[in-house]
Amino acid sequence: MSERIAVVGIGATQFRTITPDVSYKELMFDAAVRAYDNAGIDPRRDVDTFVTCAEDYIEGTSIFDEYVPDQLGAALKQVHTITGDGLHGVAAAVMQLRTGRFSLAVVEAHSKASNILTPDGVAACAQDPVYVRPLCLNSHFIAGLEMNRFCAESGVTPGQCAQVAVKNRGNALSNPIAGQAAKLTLEDFRHARPVALPLTELDVAQSVDGAVVVVLATESRARELRTKPVWLTGAGWCNGSPNLETRDWASPKYVTTAAAMAYKQAGITDPRHYFDFAEVDDTYTYKELQHLVALGLANACDVGRDVELGKTATKGKRPVNVSGGALGMGHMYECIGLARLYCAVQQLRGEAGMQQLDKARTAVVQAWRGVPTASAAVLTLAT
Amino acid sequence: MALKERINLPGEARTWYGELPVQSLYTAGDAGDRFLKTLKEKDQFMGSPCTACGEVYVPPKLYCEKCMAELKDWIKVGPDGALESWTEVHVGLDGKRLAQAQLVGLIRLDGATTSMVHLLAGAEPNDLCIGMRMTPVMKPAAKREGAITDILHFRPK
Ligand SMILES: [Zn+2]
Repeated sequence: MSERIAVVGIGATQFRTITPDVSYKELMFDAAVRAYDNAGIDPRRDVDTFVTCAEDYIEGTSIFDEYVPDQLGAALKQVHTITGDGLHGVAAAVMQLRTGRFSLAVVEAHSKASNILTPDGVAACAQDPVYVRPLCLNSHFIAGLEMNRFCAESGVTPGQCAQVAVKNRGNALSNPIAGQAAKLTLEDFRHARPVALPLTELDVAQSVDGAVVVVLATESRARELRTKPVWLTGAGWCNGSPNLETRDWASPKYVTTAAAMAYKQAGITDPRHYFDFAEVDDTYTYKELQHLVALGLANACDVGRDVELGKTATKGKRPVNVSGGALGMGHMYECIGLARLYCAVQQLRGEAGMQQLDKARTAVVQAWRGVPTASAAVLTLAT
Repeated sequence: MALKERINLPGEARTWYGELPVQSLYTAGDAGDRFLKTLKEKDQFMGSPCTACGEVYVPPKLYCEKCMAELKDWIKVGPDGALESWTEVHVGLDGKRLAQAQLVGLIRLDGATTSMVHLLAGAEPNDLCIGMRMTPVMKPAAKREGAITDILHFRPK
């Protein structure tokens, strides 16, 4: 049996809609300096392996892995970049640590969304070039189709989805790094402009710039460091069919499979009653509800009522996205999952400030890579 | 920000403009070519059934993504089908609001187990419902290119 793995350091920039004063390298540097200081380590001396998560087209360069070592202290060290969410990066780092050849790993992801002049064009170029792209559709159409089907099968209403945005953007008001906090009401949704009905502009997480760096260690290495370790008890990932033609439009089974992998490692047999809180992907409002069902945390027939009744609110039975989620903190491309993880670790350490939950000993964190993907990663955490 | 010196004046923050000049060819593949050609020349939708697991792919494939079997058979499907979901899109590829919203549907052609994405016309969003019968409207034969856009849209039957 290999050693347990712990999160021993976290660092994040402020998340802001524009950051004209800093480059993406400086954003990464900022988050890295904070994470290394938090863990009490020297990256040049102590870190064995670095994993970063980025996508060339979003960065506006080719071969983006060439652009990451210097600002992380990773030059002339073991580093690789994967085109997955930050949580896929965590899973990759966990596997490296479990080999026994490394004891300290760093995972990074960031967003410099304000530099992307054609974000919808980038997203459209991820559509199938033969069967879908010739229709010239904004990629939000995929979320519109999925939300409509999910609502039809589950009985969840667009109004219940709207409650997710009201909750999450409101939660973000007490998160000092969040970039999209707002006091919304259901009345705001009545005036919201449609994007891909039933989706409105208030159902879609708006982008921000920022970076997150996480330091992971094997148990023996973690014991030598000053920070209180947060145990990474399970890490799972899964991709469904990339084809719009063959996917299940009501239920993201790839999330369920990724969760099953993580739960099995953690020995979790009853996820519904196991976790004190959850940080899940809410790139679109309905996604939070759909993901809660796929993670085994709620029934499809109850999940809409649960948010209406406040069961997923900060003071609810099992809070979801206390941090504000992507709706409240901001959409960050490959960094969405690490933003969730950053806030979950703060909670588990008891360092979440105004957002601190009374009971925060176990958590599930989940990421999705956005339309048109069927790609998810799930982590389970415990103190 | 963990930097010792910072830009304090907005006017001092600079950016450089750049483009990625990327052009590509995309191969429809053996199955895709045959599907699009049959549609163009014979007004006929074709699917590829998997004898191992029962899946019927439209557009067709040479392999089954469920069980990895090689698919060798071709069967006629459609042209009519059932609406699986729909949306009305109000933003364009440039992120700007569209003057004319686009109605988009997922259509499961009769005989298929998979669903196609295409434009819808001849209906208001409020008229649509899951399971509704739909039929394709094709481009005039002389104007077809062997592309998915040889189907103009689907409309309620
Ligand atoms: Zn098969």
